[in-house]
Amino acid sequence: MTLANIFTNTLRDRWLSWAISAASLTLLLAFAMSIYRDIDLSIYAELPVAFRSLLGIGDDVDVGGLAIGEVFGSIGAVAVAAVALVMGSAAIAGEERNGTMRILLANPRTRTHILLTKVAALALLCGATVALMWVPVHPIAAALNVEIGGLHVEALALHLYVNALFYGMLALAIGAATGNRDTAAGATAGILVLSFFAVGLLPLVPGLEDLRVAFPWYYFTGSEPVHNGVAWSHLLALIGASAALLVVAIVGLNRRDLRGQSVGTTMLDRIRGNPLLDRLIGQLAGSARVSSIWIKTASDYQTLLLITAAAMFLVMGVLLGPMYASLPAETLSAFDAFPEEVLALFGGGSLSSPEGWYTLETFGLMAPLSVILVTVVMGAGALAGEESRRTMALLLSNPIARSRVVVEKAATMVLFGIAVGAATFAGVALGSVLGNLGMSVGNIAATATLQVLVGLVFGALALALSAVTGRAGVAISGAAGAALVLHLLTSLANMSGALSAVEWLSPFNYYLGSDPLVKGMNWGDALALAVPVLALIGLSLVLFQRRDIRKTG
Amino acid sequence: MATTTGDAAGAAIHTESLTKFYGKNRGIENVNLDVRVGEVFGFLGPNGAGKSTTIRTLLDEIRPTSGTATILGLDARRDVVAIRRLLGYVPSDLALYPNLTGHDTLTYFANLRGGVDWGYVNELAGRLDADLTRKIGDLSTGNRQKVGLIQAFMNRPALLIMDEPTSGLDPLVQREFQAMVREVTAEGRTVFLSSHTLSEVQRVADRVGIIRDGFLITVESVTELRSKAMRRVEFLLDSPAEASVFDELPGVRDVLVRDNIAEMTFEGDMGALLKAATDRYGVEDIRTSEADLEEIFLTYYHGDGERQR
Repeated sequence: MTLANIFTNTLRDRWLSWAISAASLTLLLAFAMSIYRDIDLSIYAELPVAFRSLLGIGDDVDVGGLAIGEVFGSIGAVAVAAVALVMGSAAIAGEERNGTMRILLANPRTRTHILLTKVAALALLCGATVALMWVPVHPIAAALNVEIGGLHVEALALHLYVNALFYGMLALAIGAATGNRDTAAGATAGILVLSFFAVGLLPLVPGLEDLRVAFPWYYFTGSEPVHNGVAWSHLLALIGASAALLVVAIVGLNRRDLRGQSVGTTMLDRIRGNPLLDRLIGQLAGSARVSSIWIKTASDYQTLLLITAAAMFLVMGVLLGPMYASLPAETLSAFDAFPEEVLALFGGGSLSSPEGWYTLETFGLMAPLSVILVTVVMGAGALAGEESRRTMALLLSNPIARSRVVVEKAATMVLFGIAVGAATFAGVALGSVLGNLGMSVGNIAATATLQVLVGLVFGALALALSAVTGRAGVAISGAAGAALVLHLLTSLANMSGALSAVEWLSPFNYYLGSDPLVKGMNWGDALALAVPVLALIGLSLVLFQRRDIRKTG
Repeated sequence: MATTTGDAAGAAIHTESLTKFYGKNRGIENVNLDVRVGEVFGFLGPNGAGKSTTIRTLLDEIRPTSGTATILGLDARRDVVAIRRLLGYVPSDLALYPNLTGHDTLTYFANLRGGVDWGYVNELAGRLDADLTRKIGDLSTGNRQKVGLIQAFMNRPALLIMDEPTSGLDPLVQREFQAMVREVTAEGRTVFLSSHTLSEVQRVADRVGIIRDGFLITVESVTELRSKAMRRVEFLLDSPAEASVFDELPGVRDVLVRDNIAEMTFEGDMGALLKAATDRYGVEDIRTSEADLEEIFLTYYHGDGERQR
C-alpha cells in the first residue's frame, strides 16, 4: 500500500516532481551532446575559468565533458537542489501550513520520528533521481558516439547528490525550526542562487577568489569532480553541515509550539500590532489593502514583488555597473574570444562593451526570469489559487461578474510585471552612471520594456491555464515548462541549423533578437510580444466564464 | 430562460428540471424547487445527497447540465450580477482569507458590494460574539463561521442562501442565529438553508425539501413533516416482551425485543400504541426519541405503505 505509513505517503506525494526533473535533465543531456557534437569546441578552451566553472566546464573541453558538465555540474545541479529545497521546506513547515501536521502527530509517532521519516524520504527520492540521471549517461553517450571514458561521471553524480541533499536539509531545518514554509524556501533559494553565482563570479574579481570557500556550492564543483574524481574532504564538509542541520531541525521542531493553519506575519501586521501606530495607519489609509480586488491581489503578492524587484535593482542592476568598471583590461580582452554559442544560453552579448556585459549578466537570463517568476506565480494564483483555497465561491457571491475578477487580477499581474521591469531599468541605468559606462538610457528602457513583455507572455499563459483548469500546479508548471523549452529553443537555434527554422515560435526571439540594448527599441518585436499577451488574457476571460468553479484544491 | 409563470414570478427560487452531472456521476437530477418569498426553506439531506450541488448551481458557481433556475425572478445564469446584489451567501465548508482579520474580510466584501451599514455589522458581531480584530487563520472553525455569517447578513439581502450555516457553532450561538433568521423573514426577506439534521431545520424552517441521491424526494411543511415523523419508541415492561404484540399495529416497524424491553420505530397515533402496550403489559417506563433522518427517508422511499428494511 502506498499509504502504508508516513514514509511511503511522502514518497507518493513527491515522486512526480523528482521524476520530471530526472527525465527532463536526461533529455537535456541528450540534446546537449547531439548539439555540441556538431560544433567547433576549440573556442571553449578560451573561456575564462570563472565562466567555465559557472557552466561546469572543466579544463579539457570535449563534447562529453561539456554536455555532462553543463547538465550535471550546472543547470542540472541547480534544478535537483531546487527540487530538494522545495521538498525540504514542505516536509515539516508545509504540513503545518496545510494543517495536516496535527493529524500526523495524533498518531503514535514522535515529532522526531516524523522528521527523520521525511529526511529518509528526501534522501531516497533525491538518490533515486540522481541514479535515474546517471543510468542513461553511458548509453546516450554511446548512442551518440560521444567519448566520455576519461570523465568521472559517477564522482560528479555523487557530488551532485550530496550537494542537493544539503539544500534539502537546509530548507528542512529552517522549516522545522520556524514552521514557516515560505521563509524556509525563500532563505534556502537565496543561499543557493547566491552561492552558485558567487562561486562562478568571485574569481573574476582579483583578490576575492578565495572567498569562494565560504559558499556551499564551492564544495560541489570547486574540486572539479568530473575530472578529478571524488573529493572526500569537500563531500565531508557538505555531509557534516547536513548532519548539523539535522540536529538543528530536531532540536528546533521539538522545542517550539506547532503552528496552526495561520500564516506569516507581515511587516504591516507587526506595525499594526502597536496600538498607537495601528490607529495612525487606520486614520491614514483605512483598510486600504482590502479596498478592491486588484489592491488585495497586489497586497497578497507584495513580498514577492518587493524581493524580486529589489534583487533586480540592486544585484542585477546597480552592482554590476561598478563591477564591470573595476574588471581589469586583461580579463575583458580574454572575453573577446568568448564563443557565441555559449553566450547564447545567457542571452548573448559580448563582454567587450558594457551593453554586452549587462546583456550577459542581467538581461539575458535573470531579467526575463524575474518577470516570469512574478507574473507566473500571480497568473496561476489569480484564479486557481482562490479556487484551491476555496475562497472563489464567496468572492463570486458578490455582485461582480467573473470577467471582472479576471480583469482585475490580470491588471495587477501586468502592473507587477511592469514594476519588475522598472526596477531593472532603474538599477541598470544607475549602475551605468555609477560605473561611468555611458549606456543609452533610452536603450535600457527599450530593453526593459521588451523584458516586461516577454515575461508577461508566460504570466498570461499561466493565467489562461489557471482559467481553464483551475489548478495552480498545472498553470505554474505549464508556463514554466513552456518558458524553459522556448528559451532553450532560442539559445540553441544559434548553434543548430535545424532549429533556426522554428526559431520564430519562441517569444525570446523577439526579446533580445534585435539587440535593443545597443540598437534601441524594435516596435515590431514589442508588437509580436504584446499580441500573445493580450490574446492569452482575452482567452482567460472567455475560458473562465465557461467552466464550473472547483470546490476543492 | 426565465419563465414568466405566476409561480416563478412570486418565487424567491424557482428551478425547472435542474440537472447536474459531473461526467457520468449524478449530482442532481430533475430538481423542481419553489421557494416562496418571505419563508424559511430548509433543504435537508444526508452528506453527498446533492444539497451543495443545487446551491452551487443556483449561485452560478457550476453550470447545470440541463434545466433552468430563476432567483427572485432573474435568470440564474444571465442576470448573475444583478442576483448577487440581492444575495447573501454562506458556502459549505466556508473558507476565508487566512491572513485578513475579520474586520478586513468584511471590509473587502463591503467594498465589493458598494458599502455596508457598519452599525448593523457591529450589532451582528455583538450578537454572535464574534471577534473581528483577529486574523481568520487564528480563529477556530466556529469563530470563522461567525465571520461568514456576518458577511452574509450584513447587507440585509433579499435572499439568504446558506449551506450548512451552523456547522461549528455552539448551541448558544445557534440559537442567536435562529433568531436572526426569523428576523429576516419577519422583514419579508427569504432564507434558504441546507442541513443534514432534521431537528435543526425544524426549529427555523417553514417548509422543508428533502433531497437524496440527487433527487428531490418531497417538499413538505414542517408541521406535516412532524406529523409524519417517526419516532423510536422503547417500552420497559413488567414481563418479557413479545414482538407479536407490536408487529401488527399500524405505524409500527423494526420491532426489537430483549428481556422486558420492546423497541420499535413508530409513526402515527401514539394513543393506539400505548393502549396496545398497556392492554397486555404493565408499562414501567417509556422512552421516545426522534427518528434519524435515514428513517424518514425510508418512509418516503416506501411511501406506498410498504414496510421493509
